[in-house]
Amino acid sequence: MRVSLNLIRKYVDLPKDLTDEQIAYDMTLRTVEVDEVENAGSKFHDIVVGKILEVKEHPNADKLRICMVDVGDAEPIQIVCGGSNLYVGEKVVVSKIGAEVVWHGQGEPVKISKTKMRGELSYGMICASSEVYLSDFFPTEDESEIVDLKDFDCKPGDSVADLFGMIDTILVIDNKSLSNRPDLWGHYGIARELSAIYNAPLKKLPEYELPKLPEYNVEIKDTTKCNRYVAVEIDGIYEKPSPMWMQSFLSKVGQRPINAIVDITNYVMMAVGQPLHAFDKTHVSGERIIVRNAKENEELLLLDNNAIKLTPDDLVICDESDAMALAGIRGGKKDSILPDTKGIVVEVANFSADTIRQTGKRFAEKTDAAIRYEKGLDTQRVDEGVNLALRLIKEIFPDSKIIKYTDVYPNKTKKNEIKVSEKFLDTRLGKKIPQEKIEQILTSLGYEISLKNGEYDVIVPTWRSTGDVTIKDDVMGDIARILSFDSFEPKPITITFEHSVIQKDALLERRIREYLAFRCGFYEIYTYPWIDEKYIDIAGIDKDKSLKLEMPPAPNLAYLRSSLIPGMLEAVNKNLRYYDEFRLFDLEEVYEKGDYRPSSEDEILPVQNNYLAGSIVGKDAKEIFYEAKGVIENMARYCQMEEIKLEKIEKPAWADINAYLNITKDGEIIGSLGLLSLKVMTESKIKRTNVAMFEINTDKFVPYASRTNEYERLPELPLVEKDLSIIVDEEVTWAQIEESIKSKAKEIEFVDEYRGDQIPEGKKSITLKVKILNEGTTMTSEQINERINSILKVLSKRCGAKLRED
Amino acid sequence: MKEKLEEIKTKGLEKIENAKTLAELEEVRKELTGKKSELSAILKSMKTLSPEEKKSIGMQSTEIKKTFENKLQLKEEEIIENTSVLKEPIDLTLPGKKVSGGALHPITQMKYDLNDAFLSLGFEVYSEDDISSEKYSFDNLNFPKNHPARQSMDTYWIEGTDDKEGAEKLCLRPHLTGGSVRYLLKHGAPARFVYPGEAFRNETTDARHERAFYQYEALIVDKDISFSSGIVMIQTILEKVFGRKIKTRMREGFFPFTEPGYEIDMECLVCGGKGCKVCNHNGWIEVMPGGVIHPNVLKSAGLDPEEWTGFYINIGLDRLVMMRYGVDDVRLFRNADLRFLNQFK
Repeated sequence: MRVSLNLIRKYVDLPKDLTDEQIAYDMTLRTVEVDEVENAGSKFHDIVVGKILEVKEHPNADKLRICMVDVGDAEPIQIVCGGSNLYVGEKVVVSKIGAEVVWHGQGEPVKISKTKMRGELSYGMICASSEVYLSDFFPTEDESEIVDLKDFDCKPGDSVADLFGMIDTILVIDNKSLSNRPDLWGHYGIARELSAIYNAPLKKLPEYELPKLPEYNVEIKDTTKCNRYVAVEIDGIYEKPSPMWMQSFLSKVGQRPINAIVDITNYVMMAVGQPLHAFDKTHVSGERIIVRNAKENEELLLLDNNAIKLTPDDLVICDESDAMALAGIRGGKKDSILPDTKGIVVEVANFSADTIRQTGKRFAEKTDAAIRYEKGLDTQRVDEGVNLALRLIKEIFPDSKIIKYTDVYPNKTKKNEIKVSEKFLDTRLGKKIPQEKIEQILTSLGYEISLKNGEYDVIVPTWRSTGDVTIKDDVMGDIARILSFDSFEPKPITITFEHSVIQKDALLERRIREYLAFRCGFYEIYTYPWIDEKYIDIAGIDKDKSLKLEMPPAPNLAYLRSSLIPGMLEAVNKNLRYYDEFRLFDLEEVYEKGDYRPSSEDEILPVQNNYLAGSIVGKDAKEIFYEAKGVIENMARYCQMEEIKLEKIEKPAWADINAYLNITKDGEIIGSLGLLSLKVMTESKIKRTNVAMFEINTDKFVPYASRTNEYERLPELPLVEKDLSIIVDEEVTWAQIEESIKSKAKEIEFVDEYRGDQIPEGKKSITLKVKILNEGTTMTSEQINERINSILKVLSKRCGAKLRED
Repeated sequence: MKEKLEEIKTKGLEKIENAKTLAELEEVRKELTGKKSELSAILKSMKTLSPEEKKSIGMQSTEIKKTFENKLQLKEEEIIENTSVLKEPIDLTLPGKKVSGGALHPITQMKYDLNDAFLSLGFEVYSEDDISSEKYSFDNLNFPKNHPARQSMDTYWIEGTDDKEGAEKLCLRPHLTGGSVRYLLKHGAPARFVYPGEAFRNETTDARHERAFYQYEALIVDKDISFSSGIVMIQTILEKVFGRKIKTRMREGFFPFTEPGYEIDMECLVCGGKGCKVCNHNGWIEVMPGGVIHPNVLKSAGLDPEEWTGFYINIGLDRLVMMRYGVDDVRLFRNADLRFLNQFK
């Protein structure tokens, strides 16, 4: 909404020394955020009234003229102009050198400077309306038609801003910020807030005395949807422009002036927030208005002869034969004011917010009336609308005559009554506010209050009683905000120590992330919950268990993740454009259809688990596989949780046929680790590199309550270390080797694996380090050899190993 | 003989002096003090001399030997002090070896910073699942039935549930606030907890808008507390994040789940509050909404609003991280682009 401070100042006497910026700031803090303080006149600088003294042909151009123009300065100035309607004596709008105009009404404003046009000097510009922000007053299709000010009382040099009432400040407020305050959708409501903020008196709106009149025939069929309907029949109305002050106001607040009647209805709406509607009286057949639900397949004919299809939920304003308007939303062909209009029927009505919202949903663009009704207007505001409208009609159409008047008023907005204790206010506000201050604030906002035995009886004004203020907290909120939240000193929070905060799960989650990032060199990524279907298919993830979005961000993003692998695949693919070796991890929730009730029995959610996915990208497939394996193997120890195991049980869809392992906890598979299969890599176009990935359900991890490992006494004598290189068959696994000699050494370490020249086909060489504990005394070399030989003997017997002799 | 010894001394000292390396010095040591040294030869040839001469030459030789030993010792120390462990020259301008990379996401880092601050104030960290229901996302939070946020234009509803209602209509949570009721239902009051997490809204994305965004919400529920205590909480957070006191202001704001609600602005760090493009020329940046928990929300959580009250704050972490590093496009956070992410290690 755009708020004109000129009109606000007519409703409330604001303190004299207040700047417009300060008003905006105070309103932002206390009522609603002001996005912008716009000086309506500033864009008109150096734009003045000029009078054409002479019009000459241009020697070098057919369409251009050379004009001498009096702009109120000592000497007239020469302007080259292509206007089609130039004549001597014409009063025009001149942009002098330095002015900023919009060329042909399009684009950013351009500064006027002295120019030569086809060899002739021009010291300014005679402007068309769209070039100088005056299209609202002079709508024209023809851009060569310049503004002719013949009907204006003005002289050369007069400021155009002043002439069009543009010396004003506009506060720009986002409509969204006003959605909870139906009372602020008119200038009077904003003025009321300012009167409370500055403790300045709010002026009463004018009343209009109606004589006793015959009734207009109005019938409300559905009184749950229409709370009040006032119809006023007026003769002596015809199509003409509204006065400049009204056009000027409407233009500044973003409403295009149209004709006097439409402008009056818009003015009233902008002033007091009450939508109005005017019907040409001859269009209302049967001189009767019926407010009813639309019939099945009924249509509303629009001015452009298109028709809107209606449903029985829609409320329509009808005459005896058919629908004339969609109640509170928009008019049809029948309600148009046309050149032959002689009299009108004015509608000032109140429709229920729900009805307007329901019907309004079907239309992309919301009308100003609908926006207001759907917030919930009070029925009493109809009086303000009627009074102001009739005064304006009388002023603008002095010969008009009110013929009939009806007020059908089935439901009146009730004032809410709330009890608010002083103790409640003192506690919740955190300090004692003097009674007079509370009374001043609430009274100027329109509340009626009285204090009895430490309790305020608060009667809420009607304009805040349509849902906005219903409980004592709302009243407290009003006091706090008008005083400004900022005026309350920060109060320290008192803490009672009852127990220390120990959160094993939250801590474990952090340890996992930090382990991967700080110890293992992974970068953490965030992915979206919706996954590109292409990658789900490539990874071979079963979509039957997945959830889908009703309205996904894009058609290929409908599925929600049931695994982090597809998202990881996409991330790896993206980064391969820039890097060939890297590590990524992602720890987020995945979802699967199921039955999960975290908070109450009635709420059944899908199963949601925290998953961890990681990837290591590198050239050497085996190398990265073992690196990834190492990351998993060490996780439990470094993250302080119960042991997890790696076993080969079941191949995940995305993994290589040989290189995969499952991650288990107490015998249950909780994740997998593997190289990406050739198929997955080919389909996702990953070339010249390899990828190891893992995925684990981290909700299956069990964090230790505290550190659990026990201290082990340091050996008194150093361990004896010996490296052994053995040759075994390919089929012999490290696990077998380790198992076979476990009892014979204190520690057994894998050093490396080798296949090559000196090793026969089908065999491999394994180097291992065995560490033997000295027992009692330091062993002699004979004793050591004896122990090593016994180890070799076991290796030979159980694994067919031979000592490698190079 | 004496002259000979003097000559040995002079030449010997010269040799010691000229030694450049420990190996050379070792050679010199052998030559001067070893069994085959000139000095040894002289001592061996002394048999023929008179006792006086023997004594005098002996003393002289011993002294020379001592001098050599002293000098050798000093020279050795000198060489050690001036010898590098390197056999070859070293280019000190070559880059050092890379340390292992890896980093937490910048939003995770911010989250942990805030967790640390709140844990020190005795808050618990709570988390709720991404998928919630209309009941917990809207109904419990005092959102009117017809609130626009409930529409598909705003909220991501799960297919197959959108024609249902309340607890049966499911969505990706549009904000974290629903989690507050879950926590309170489970743990009761008084309560003091934070619940970081992602929220999702159907938006058109651009440099400032995302469909997924990280929020950090904190809630205190207690008896007889005032909303002004919330200011302390806010200042604590900003101080933690930016390392110094940050000017803030509280202004009117409206949210269905609060009464009163407020918006907290911080002074624009880019222009220092003077007004610039980043802050839309007004010197302030909206960082977090907050407010007193609405009585209807307390009722949903099974608490008596006459007895309990409390207040929320909710911080948009994406925005805050953008301010911390000067990031100008919110979409970078979920792009998984290492060129971006490795700047935060």
